[in-house]
Amino acid sequence: MNIFLLQLKKSPRAIIGLSVLLLWVFIAFAGPSMTTRSYTHMDMEYQMAAPGEGGHTLGTDALGRDVLSRIVYGSRSILTIALMTSLFSSIAGIIIGFTAGYFGGLVDTIFLRIMDILMAIPPLVLAMVILGILGNSTILSLTIIVSIAYTPATARVARGALLTCASNEYVDAARIRGESHFYIMFIEILPNTIGPVLVEITARFAYSIMMIASLGFLGVGLQPPTPDWGMMVIENKSIIRTAPWTVLYPSLSIASLVIAISLFSDFISKVMIHEE
Amino acid sequence: MDFLERFLKRLGFMVLTMVAMSMLIFFLVEIMPGDVAQTILGQAATEESVAALRESMGLDDPIHVRYLRWAGGFVQGDLGQSIYMRGVEISSIFWRRVGHSMLLAFTAFIFYVPVSILMGILAGVKAGKTADSVISFVGLATMALPEFVSGIILITIFSVYLEIFPIASLIPIGQTIWGNLNILVLPALSITIVMFGYVSRMQRSSMIGVMSSDYIRAATLKGMPRRYVIFRHALKNALLPTITIIGMNMGWLFGGLIVVETLFGFPGLGSLTLSAIKTRDIPLIEACVLFITFIFVFSTFITDMAYAFLNPKIRFKQGEV
Amino acid sequence: MKNKQKTMPVLEINNLNVEYKTLTDRIVAVKDISLKVGRKEALGIIGESGCGKSTLTYAIVDYLPKNGSRSGEVIFMGENLLEKSPKEMESYRGNRIAMVYQNPYSSLNPSLTIGFQLEEVTMFHQKFSRSKAREAAIETLTDLYMGDAAGIIERYPHQISGGMQQRVCIAMALLCKPDLMILDEPTTALDVTTEAVILDIIGELKEKYNMSLIYISHDIGVVNKVADRIAVMYRGEVVETSSQEAIFNDPLHPYTRALISCMPRAGVVKETVRLNTIPGYVTRRSAAETGCPFVPRCDKKRPGCEDRYGFTERKSGHFTACDRAYAEDVPERPVQIKKKEVKLPDNGPAPEHRTILQLDKIYRYFGPPGKRIRAVDGVDLTLDRNSVLGVVGESGCGKSTIGNTVGGLLRPTSGKIIFDGTDISVSWRKRSPETLREIQLIFQNPGRSLNPSFTLEAIIGRPMKKLLGINSGEERKKRIVDILKKVDLGEEYLYRRPRQLSGGEMQRAAVARAFSISPNLLICDEPTSALDASVQASVLNLLVDLQKESGASYIFISHDLNVINYLSDMIMVMYLGRICEYGEKHEVVGSPCHPYTEALLSAVPDVDPSIKKEAIRLEGSPPDPTIKIKGCPFAGRCHRKVGTVCDTTPPPKVDFSETHFSYCHIKPAKIEKKVMQAGEVMRTQEI
Repeated sequence: MNIFLLQLKKSPRAIIGLSVLLLWVFIAFAGPSMTTRSYTHMDMEYQMAAPGEGGHTLGTDALGRDVLSRIVYGSRSILTIALMTSLFSSIAGIIIGFTAGYFGGLVDTIFLRIMDILMAIPPLVLAMVILGILGNSTILSLTIIVSIAYTPATARVARGALLTCASNEYVDAARIRGESHFYIMFIEILPNTIGPVLVEITARFAYSIMMIASLGFLGVGLQPPTPDWGMMVIENKSIIRTAPWTVLYPSLSIASLVIAISLFSDFISKVMIHEE
Repeated sequence: MDFLERFLKRLGFMVLTMVAMSMLIFFLVEIMPGDVAQTILGQAATEESVAALRESMGLDDPIHVRYLRWAGGFVQGDLGQSIYMRGVEISSIFWRRVGHSMLLAFTAFIFYVPVSILMGILAGVKAGKTADSVISFVGLATMALPEFVSGIILITIFSVYLEIFPIASLIPIGQTIWGNLNILVLPALSITIVMFGYVSRMQRSSMIGVMSSDYIRAATLKGMPRRYVIFRHALKNALLPTITIIGMNMGWLFGGLIVVETLFGFPGLGSLTLSAIKTRDIPLIEACVLFITFIFVFSTFITDMAYAFLNPKIRFKQGEV
Repeated sequence: MKNKQKTMPVLEINNLNVEYKTLTDRIVAVKDISLKVGRKEALGIIGESGCGKSTLTYAIVDYLPKNGSRSGEVIFMGENLLEKSPKEMESYRGNRIAMVYQNPYSSLNPSLTIGFQLEEVTMFHQKFSRSKAREAAIETLTDLYMGDAAGIIERYPHQISGGMQQRVCIAMALLCKPDLMILDEPTTALDVTTEAVILDIIGELKEKYNMSLIYISHDIGVVNKVADRIAVMYRGEVVETSSQEAIFNDPLHPYTRALISCMPRAGVVKETVRLNTIPGYVTRRSAAETGCPFVPRCDKKRPGCEDRYGFTERKSGHFTACDRAYAEDVPERPVQIKKKEVKLPDNGPAPEHRTILQLDKIYRYFGPPGKRIRAVDGVDLTLDRNSVLGVVGESGCGKSTIGNTVGGLLRPTSGKIIFDGTDISVSWRKRSPETLREIQLIFQNPGRSLNPSFTLEAIIGRPMKKLLGINSGEERKKRIVDILKKVDLGEEYLYRRPRQLSGGEMQRAAVARAFSISPNLLICDEPTSALDASVQASVLNLLVDLQKESGASYIFISHDLNVINYLSDMIMVMYLGRICEYGEKHEVVGSPCHPYTEALLSAVPDVDPSIKKEAIRLEGSPPDPTIKIKGCPFAGRCHRKVGTVCDTTPPPKVDFSETHFSYCHIKPAKIEKKVMQAGEVMRTQEI
C-alpha cells in the first residue's frame, strides 16, 4: 500500500485523474442537495440563456432547464450505472472465464467459440438493439444489458489471468492435496489475479461510461425527464449554433469523467504490472 | 498446405458464426414483446384484420419455419420488406446506405490507421521521453471517449466557430455523396480520435515489447545502426499485433458509426439501424444487425489470414534440421 | 608498432564502475573492476546470478539501460571505448567485438530468414555485396559443422533446433573475424550433450579465428572447458583471478573456496561427503557499502573487513582481494565428515514389502491422435523403501512426466502404478487422502510452487489440516514451527510471505511443506535447478538429512548428472520417453552400458579442471516425439550404432547384474570389453 502511495506521488497524471474522479463522485453524492434548482423546472424567462444569465451558471436549454443542475443530477445515474456495470460484468466475467479456463478442454473450447460468436456483434449494437426493443430503459435494465454486453470481454480477460496463474505449481500442489475445484479457483488463484482483475474493472468503468453515455445519446438510455448526459447532447444538438453551452457542457462532463478514469486506470495497470 | 488448412478452417468458422449469429439475432428480435401485425395496422385495427395479416405474412408458422424462410431469403439477397415503410423492399434503400457507411468507414480508416501506427511507433521508440508522454496522454485521454463527444468538440470548433465544415452531413435531394465529400470529414475525424487512442496505445506497447526483445539487442550489438534496427528488425514484428487489433476492432468501428451518423445525421447504415430500432421495424433491424455482424466476422477473417501470411511462424511449418 | 600490437592486451578494463538508479536507491552493479584479456586468451568469468557478469559485458559495448551509468576505462586495442560516441560504437559492435547470448531462440529475429540476419553483418561492416555476404555466411556456417549451410540460410529461426540456432548465433558473431568474442552463458539453455559439442566448437574456432574470448557462466565446469584464465565475481566485484588450475587447486578468496566446495562433482557422493554450504544469499549492493562484498556471509571475516579492501597480486598471476584464505584462527570447514555407512543386511522387511512403488508399462501421451507426443513410452520400474532413485535425461525425455504421473497430476495413458500395494494409476481426484498424504512433490521453482498470497503458516498449515486432519490452530502452529526449524528457518518466518524470502529460503519452505505431513514418497522435480550454486548445496544437504531421518523414498529428477550422482542410490537414464539404463549409482556411473549414458557422462562439465574428458559428439537432435519409433529412439544419434537393427527392432533388455540393466542392441560382451573412459574418471575420483 505504501508503494502505491509512493508511486501515486510520482505520477501527476494519476493524481489529476483521481482528483477529477473523486470530484465527480462528490458532485454525484452531495451535488443534488446543493443545487437550488430542480432539473425539470423550466425557466420560461430564460430559455437558451447563456451561462451566467439569470443565475444559471451554465445557462439553460431550449426549454429553459438549468444545464448545471441537469449535469449534476445526470452524474448520479451515469456513475451508479457505470460502477455497477463494471462490477457486475467483472464478477460475471470472472465466474465464466475462470470456469472455462480452469476446466479447460471441451468446456473451454465451447466457451471460446461462444465468446467469439457473441463478440461478433459490437457491444454497443447489442445493447442498443435489446434496449431499443424493450423500450423504457431503467437504471436496472441498463445495468443488466450493458453488463451482459461487456461480459464476453471481461470473461476473456479473467480467463487469461487465470491461465497465467494456473500454470504455477502452487495450483498443482493444491490439487494433489485434494482441494476442491472451488477452493483452488477462488482461494488459491483469485487473490493472485487481483492485479489484472483490478485493471480490468477500472478500464471497464471508463468503457461503461462511454457506452451508457452513447446509449443515452442514441435515445435508448434513461428516459426523460431523468437527466442524462448523452441525451442532453442529442436533445440540444440542433441549437448548437445559438446555444453551444447546452451541448458543450454535458460533452465536457463526459470527457472529463472518462479521461479521469482512463488516467487512473492506466496508473493502476502500471503499478500492478510493475509489481509483478 | 498448412496455410490452406488454416484458410478453410477459418472460412468454416466464419460461416458457422454467421449462421449462429443469424439465429441469435432472429430469435432475439422475434421474442421481443409486440405484435408485428398489430404494429403495422395500428391500435385501431380489428382482431380479424390483424389475424388476416398474420396469416398472409406467415407469422403463425412455427418459429423455425419462419427463420428458414427469412434466412433463405437473405442468402438470395432478399432482405424482406420494411414494416414501417409499408412494404418497401429493404434492399432498395439498404445497399445505398451501406455504401455511404462503407465510404465513411473507409475515410476514417485511412485517417486513423497511418496516424495511430506512426504515433504509436514514435512513442514506443521514444518511450519515456517527451514525445512519448504527449502521445500516450492523448491516446489515453481519447481511448474511452464516446464518438459523439469528440464529434461535438469538432463541430464546435470547425462548424460553429471556423465554419469550415457543415454541422450536419446531409446530401441534398437529387445529389449523390460523391458531390458532397466534405460531409465525410468531421464524422471520420470523430471516429479517428477515438480509434487513435486504442490503436496507438497498442502499437506503442508492442513496439516497446519488441524493442526490449533479445533479437533487437542482438541486432544492435551486431553494430546495426539504430534506424535500420527499428525499420528492418523491429517494425514488422511490432506491426503484427496491431494488424490484429485493427481488424478485430472493425466491429467497434461500426458501433461508433451508429453514434457518429446519428450525431451528424449522416445517411448511412448506422442511422438506418437506429431508426429501425426506434420504429420497431423488425425486418430492417434484422437486416442491419446481421450485416454489421457480417462486416465484423469478415474483417476478422481477413485479418487472421493477413496475420498468418505475414507471420513466418505460421506460414512456414516447423521442420527440425 | 607491430610488436606493440602483439604484446598489448586486446581488452584492458581499468576501475570500471556501473551504477543503476532506482526509485529509492543507487545500486552498484559493477564495482571497481580491472581485468585484462590478452590476444588469443580466453577469460572465463564465473559468478552467481546477480553478480554483475552480464552488466560488465554490456558496459563494455555500451548497452546499459537508461538508468545505468559507467565510469572508468575500457581500453580495447588501445582505444578507450567509454569515450566513443554511439555512432562510433557501431563500428566496434559485431565487427571487432561480437557477442553471443544465453537464449539463441529469442536472439534471432523471428520474421527474418537466417540468411538475411547473417548477410547484413558483413554487408554493413565489410561493405560486402549481397552475394559475397551470402558466400561468407555459408562459409562460416560450414566452419561450425552445419551440414546443409545453403539450405539453412533460406530458413526462419523457428525451423531449426536450439543447438543449431546457437551455432547460427556464433556464426553471426564470427562473420567479421572479431578480435574479441563475448559469450554470455551461451550453453545454459541447451542440453548437456549439445552443450558439449558447442563448447568443443568454440575452443576450435578460437584458434582458427585468432580471437580472444570472454566466457561468462555460473557453472565453473563449463568455464573450465574453454577458459585459460578465470575471474570470480561476487556482488559486482572481481574477488579473484588466476589460471583455471590455480582457481581450483589453490583458491585464495574465501568465496572461491566456499563456492568450489559446495558444488557436487565427480566422485562427490552423499555417502562420503557432506557438501559445504554458504550461509545467506546474494544481495544487491547499495552505493554506500564499502569493504569486502563477501563479508556478510564469510566465516573468516575479522574486524576491518567491512571497510578495508584491496585487489592485489598474491602469487604470480594470481590476484585476489583477501588474505584470509588460510587463516588459522578459523578452521577450514570439513569437507569429508562421514565414513561410508555399512549397508544393513536384508533382515528388514520381507521382500514383498521392500518395494514401495512399482510402475508397470507406463505410457503417457499428449496431444491429439496424429500429433501425439509420446512423453513416456513404456516405462517399468520398482523403487525400494528408504532409497533414492535419480532420474536423469535431457529436456523432453519424459522424466518430469514420470514424476507428475506418480504424483497424480497426470493420469497414465495406460499402465499401472502400484504404491504400497494399492493401484494408484488414477489422477489426484480419485486418490484416497491417505495416498495424497503419502506422496508429496517438490517443484523446480519455489517462487511458483508457494502461493504468493499466503504466509508460510497458511502454506504449511493447509496440508496439515487437509490431510492430517489437525484442526486445532495451536497444534498446527506448534508443528509448523518444529518443521520450520528443521529446515533452518526460524519461528520468525511463520508470518512471512514467499516474496519476502530468498530463493533458497523459499525452496526450504517448500521442503518443509512436503515433510510436514510425513510422506513416504517424495518426488523432487529439479528442486535445485533454479537456485544458485551456493544455495543449492544447503537444499541438497537438507534433502539428504530429511531422507535419512524419515526413511522416505525419493524420486529425484534432474538434468544435472553431478547432482543425481551425489544424491541417488539408484539411477535411471531416460531418452525420449524410454529407459536407456537403470542400476545402482556406482554401476551406472562407474560402468555405463548404454551409449547414451556414456555420451551423457562424457559431456558433463567438471569443476575440477584436471579432469580432461573427450566429449562424445552426438550429432543432430532427438527425433520428433510425435513420430512412432520402431527401433531404438537413440539410434539416429548413436555413436555406436550396431546397424539397421537399431532402427527396426526395439532394443532388448540386457541384464548386467541383479539391479543393473540397459536397453541396447550392442552385445553385452562388447560392452564389457570397452569399459568406459568416462566411467573410469568418475571412479578414480572417488575419495
